[in-house]
Amino acid sequence: MIDIDLQRKQGTFSLHAKCVITEPVVGLFGPSGAGKSTLLGMIAGLIRPNAGHFILDGECLFDSMRGINVPLYKRHIGVVFQDSRLFPHLDVRDNLNYGFNLLDGKNQRLGFKQIIELLEIGHLLTQKPHQLSGGEKQRVALGRALLISPRLLLLDEPLASLDVRLKRQILPFLRRVKDEINLPMIYVSHAIDEILYLTTQIAMLNAGKILTVGSFQEVIRDERALALAYASGLENVLHAQVLAHYPADGYTVAKIGAQPIHVPLVNVPVGRMIPLSIAASNIALSKQKIDGVTIQNQLFATVTAIQRVEKGVLVTLDVGCLLIAEVSAKAISDMQIELGASLYCLIKTQSISLVSN
Amino acid sequence: MTDSIFLLSAAEIEALMLSAKVAIFCTLAICVPGIAVAWLLAKKSFLGKSLLDSVVHLPLVLPPVVPGFLLLILLGSQGLIGKWLQQAFGITVAFTWVGAVIASAVMAFPLMVRSARLAISQVDSGLEAAAQSLGARPLRVFFTVTLPLAMPGIITGLILAFSRSLGEFGATITFVGNVEGETRTLPLAIYTYTQIPDGDMAAIRLVVISMVIALGALMLSDILERRATRRIGRGVRPSHD
Repeated sequence: MIDIDLQRKQGTFSLHAKCVITEPVVGLFGPSGAGKSTLLGMIAGLIRPNAGHFILDGECLFDSMRGINVPLYKRHIGVVFQDSRLFPHLDVRDNLNYGFNLLDGKNQRLGFKQIIELLEIGHLLTQKPHQLSGGEKQRVALGRALLISPRLLLLDEPLASLDVRLKRQILPFLRRVKDEINLPMIYVSHAIDEILYLTTQIAMLNAGKILTVGSFQEVIRDERALALAYASGLENVLHAQVLAHYPADGYTVAKIGAQPIHVPLVNVPVGRMIPLSIAASNIALSKQKIDGVTIQNQLFATVTAIQRVEKGVLVTLDVGCLLIAEVSAKAISDMQIELGASLYCLIKTQSISLVSN
Repeated sequence: MTDSIFLLSAAEIEALMLSAKVAIFCTLAICVPGIAVAWLLAKKSFLGKSLLDSVVHLPLVLPPVVPGFLLLILLGSQGLIGKWLQQAFGITVAFTWVGAVIASAVMAFPLMVRSARLAISQVDSGLEAAAQSLGARPLRVFFTVTLPLAMPGIITGLILAFSRSLGEFGATITFVGNVEGETRTLPLAIYTYTQIPDGDMAAIRLVVISMVIALGALMLSDILERRATRRIGRGVRPSHD
């Protein structure tokens, strides 16, 4: 459990973050300049808060009233930076071992071999950081932070300096870390889809204040939170199970809840879960099932929320999981869509993409 | 004929060896304090920082005779500290080769500090923070991250200091005089030869040797610096690629 109440003034910007996080893996989401990195820096011990307290699993690491400020090298909190910060004079093996070798044997909960296999970096051990690609650097940086067996792992926009292709290569590794290593994580990003790929638990930060903490579904009930998610380009991330492949026709059938969904052909074994990304603006709504259209996917849905945003209306739908569609305000009034109404979501197969690969 | 032109006399060899000894001890002596002061100036802010900065750099802008004279006042046999050293420990530095080391160390110190300071301040503090987040205490961070990454600049500083020490004249002659075999280093020997009849040939030989050593030191500095830079990877800060 993380109990945060931290304040810091930097010029005209003032940050006052107050929240209690009970979920192990949380995405810290907010627009650029919201204070995400500052908050993360204060949690790590890189930046000294002006006032407040920070308690991690019952241990007080900072308390301005009691004069407690545990230095960062004693906090045992792993940090993965946006710019990887690998030591340029050390090869990959020595980078990975830097913190690992400072631990007592009994505190080395995560083994060297386990981590290099998990992150697939075994073939890079003798290379110097400048010989690595951006994605490889981030995997090594992640491994280096994991090898200190941290009690909390902070990821400060670890994918921000990578292009989309590389992002999609790294995300599955982050997911693996989450699934295979039971480690509390705070993942900072201004891209909501990255966060949703890892977790549905979100803390929303804007202009130095935490707006809400909770599941994505709860968080976006807050108008301001929804507007922020919308402004960052709203992408739905759904986890679907592969049912069958139709290579001749170029598509795969998967299921969300009990409903089948057609997605572009993927090379994933039947039965496996795949993360799908669908832009909110690519979902159309219909009151009844339509025959004679080229759109393959017509998912039955119940309306759970309707919220106005800048250019239109966001309709939150339950299709077995949460899905957000962006439609025009006129359509909502013409079709008389209300809370609790039953609808069909129309999604073109080609507008669905797989988050990894 | 050729022998007499190119062959060094015993006195000339003595001056050369003495210079080498003084320069080596001078470089060794300022290595650790030079890095420490450079680190203070590069990474810390404290009361009197600009004063320390100025004092360290003074020998660079003063006529060398001034530091030499100050050393004489302080460390000379009648000087404040010199007298005490003599009485308490029986140590005399005035007019000895140790005094020559002190004189050239004072003159070479700012060169060492300038070069090391620049190198240390260019070490990405993000890397030092990353090292601390991995559990390394500040002292360990200094020795495992800061120092190796600043090494090219530190090597340059040491070689500059070594060369400066070889060439030191004013402070040395003021503080420890021109005693053959004890404080008569290469520049002092050249000066001496130019002051005596028929000394030109000897002076020229020593001038050529001085130039060869200086050139060699600069080239060695270049090679070492390049090697050290290669060891720490191409860019000091790997980011956004």
